Amino acid sequence: MTTGQVARPSAGSANEPLQQVALVDLLDRLLGAGVVISGDLVISLAGVDLVQIRLHALIASVRAEMVPR
Amino acid sequence: MSTGLYLYALTRGLSPALLEGRTGVAGAPLRLIENEGLAAVVSEVDLEEFGEDGLKRNLEDLAWLEAVATAHDRVTREVAERAPAAPVRLATVFLSDASVRESLARWHDRAERTLDRIEGRGEWSVKVYSDPSTRGAASSEEPADDPGMGAGRAYLLKRRAATQRKEAAAQEDAETAEQIHAAVEKLAVAGRRLAPQDRRLTGHVGEMILNGTYLVDRDDVAAFKAEVDRLADLHDHLRIELAGPWPPYSFASLETS
Repeated sequence: MTTGQVARPSAGSANEPLQQVALVDLLDRLLGAGVVISGDLVISLAGVDLVQIRLHALIASVRAEMVPR
Repeated sequence: MSTGLYLYALTRGLSPALLEGRTGVAGAPLRLIENEGLAAVVSEVDLEEFGEDGLKRNLEDLAWLEAVATAHDRVTREVAERAPAAPVRLATVFLSDASVRESLARWHDRAERTLDRIEGRGEWSVKVYSDPSTRGAASSEEPADDPGMGAGRAYLLKRRAATQRKEAAAQEDAETAEQIHAAVEKLAVAGRRLAPQDRRLTGHVGEMILNGTYLVDRDDVAAFKAEVDRLADLHDHLRIELAGPWPPYSFASLETS
């Protein structure tokens, strides 16, 4: 893909260090369906969805404790 | 204890020496298992913890999950900074070296194609938030009360107008989100819209109208950032959050074709 633009030299764009991913974004991706390889121990997709739902509830309750409103 | 192998990422061309002294989940040393040029980055884990029963239990323990996810991300970044790396899903566990090797053989062609696609590219997140409180005053005009109108009818008209304004605003937000997604996707190799995140998880203000994620070539990063800046200027009532580069978590699936 080309952009037709002259890329302005940005600081370290060639070797920009990878950034740490925030936990919510990480779980979105690590538990989402996008990156799937079956190991020997398979948590079924349905199982993962369930886990995710329970997890969200859990994170929400933890947040609620952390951030009283 | 019986042990399994926790798989972090698939890679190629990574010298095993680069993993020396590095650790993964629970501080276990990392190593490579290779087959025909394709390599799996693994470390040993206790099956009490990472077996099926253990996982079911532990995945609901936020502290455990955070520790594992953070280690998974750290290892993946360490590998991805040195070689193309296709991260795998959290808690992908194998029972033996032989089993990993068999899987590497089975995935070989698809994994090579995936690594070709992500090599030299990183994942960038673009989130867009709409905050109703900063929406232009133009949308808040209300019909003037007609003195001849009954209070009940005036109330209903007001309610209806408010609902219509809200719907129009939501519609406008949806269109803007789609436009922003399309604009930044043009500068990316691939893009996906993830489900907007729950405010209770993130604590964000306003409505997340776009949770987009993009695979961007290193050479296009400057242009990609410039486009995000341009869009932020163009839509100054919206808040745009750019984050990255991350390992290509959303773009490393093995295509089945």
